[in-house]
Amino acid sequence: MHAPPAFRQRLLESIPRLRRYARSLAFDPGDSDDLVQLTLERALAHWQQFDASRDMLVWLLSIAHNAHLDGRRRDARLQVTDPVDLQRAQDEAGGDPGTDVGLRMDLLAALARLAPEQREPLLLVCVEQLSYAEVAEVMRIPVGTVMSRVCRARATLRRFLEAPDGRGGNAPLRRVV
Amino acid sequence: MNDPNHRPSPSSPPSPPSPPVGDEQLSAWLDGELAGAESTAVEAWLREHPEARARVDAWDADRRALRAAFAAVPDEAVPAALQRLVWRGGGAGAGAEGAEGAEGAEAADAPGTQRRAAPGIARRPWALAAAVAAALVTGALAGAGATWQWHREQASRLAAGTPQGWVQRAAYAHSVYVMEPRHYVEVKAQEEHLARWLTRRIDFPVKLFDLNEFGFQLVGGRLLPDGPGKSAQLMYQDTQGKRVTVYLRKPEKGVDAAFRYERQGDLGMFYWVEEGCGYALVGPLPREQLLAMAESIYRQEPVLPAPNMNPPAAPAAPAASR
Repeated sequence: MHAPPAFRQRLLESIPRLRRYARSLAFDPGDSDDLVQLTLERALAHWQQFDASRDMLVWLLSIAHNAHLDGRRRDARLQVTDPVDLQRAQDEAGGDPGTDVGLRMDLLAALARLAPEQREPLLLVCVEQLSYAEVAEVMRIPVGTVMSRVCRARATLRRFLEAPDGRGGNAPLRRVV
Repeated sequence: MNDPNHRPSPSSPPSPPSPPVGDEQLSAWLDGELAGAESTAVEAWLREHPEARARVDAWDADRRALRAAFAAVPDEAVPAALQRLVWRGGGAGAGAEGAEGAEGAEAADAPGTQRRAAPGIARRPWALAAAVAAALVTGALAGAGATWQWHREQASRLAAGTPQGWVQRAAYAHSVYVMEPRHYVEVKAQEEHLARWLTRRIDFPVKLFDLNEFGFQLVGGRLLPDGPGKSAQLMYQDTQGKRVTVYLRKPEKGVDAAFRYERQGDLGMFYWVEEGCGYALVGPLPREQLLAMAESIYRQEPVLPAPNMNPPAAPAAPAASR
């Protein structure tokens, strides 16, 4: 039996936020849309497992989390976008991006350097604005673990941003995890 | 599972020798995860420990920066291939992977990225540029520079903290979002919901001004994570598709309250500060027309929080913005 239209409609409405989360995990738009695609495929295949009284986004994020985890296991290493590439693409896109781009570059570079175990809960809390309980549901870890990982992620991110060698600048940060 | 730093919540209100508060509690407090006595104890601790306060402030700034860095992604057009997948996927062509057992299907999906059910999502040359524009909000805004004749020296005025920075950001935000063909607002104009949603996220009650007498109807609003703090933008449109925006934010300290007018190219802007709220009205209209609208908004400004509005939630409420 195929997924009913109402389910597909809700799925469609969730795509923009799902794409944001995928982008924050994978940086590269091609990779992140691959992740979104995989998530949607799995959601459509398992639509009967979705409890309609629950939040669809949390359910989708947990599928995306698993898919991303599978991808990492498969690749054994995670390619992240080189800040230098980002800078070049930015230049090609044209226009003066303003004064705080250097800062933002550093932020994304520092984010990319975070261990995935820390990066994911940090993004779910800060960008997706999920509660700790929801993050625990998405990642299938205890709430206490969410709390400590978010805290460690914050401290590590700060250290990367404050340490001189942690700056994006000219040093490519091609992190192999 | 519990980290050794994690302390149980104090059972009584904080007394002078209050137990030390660990970073995990500070972090959880910032995320709105603590309630009652625990939250009160953290707040008392922060008042007495400026170095802890500074640490939490830095985390808060990082959180805002992270939100801003990806804020533009949901506004991007959803790739047609993904939309097709949702409407047709799991159906005829993909029937084989139907709802058998969860485990089995998960395993079958594992090498999934090699199997591209929906062609056309593969890397495209422009995609990276799009990502960068999305990742760098400022980058996304750069395209609008042409409309707003935006000069380099004005770029520095946009910098956080400059007295009139918010006024420039108002103009900037107008230029960016009126050009958005489809995602020009984040929340459509279902009056009460929109007002409540925005009020919960900026520091003062948001009123949805009525500009119908000028032929402009509210189409919706959005939250702008620009600069320190947040701003809201309300968008109005007339029958010819002409759009004006009202930009609301708490201005930086030292901003004067005068009612002012600026014009750049075909865009006009009135801005003023009233009772701690900054207002900017931006639109491609003649001065007189814009002035009449600005005066109307001024008259409609909320004096007290409107009766139906929830007060802004406690600091950093665990708000899920869905």
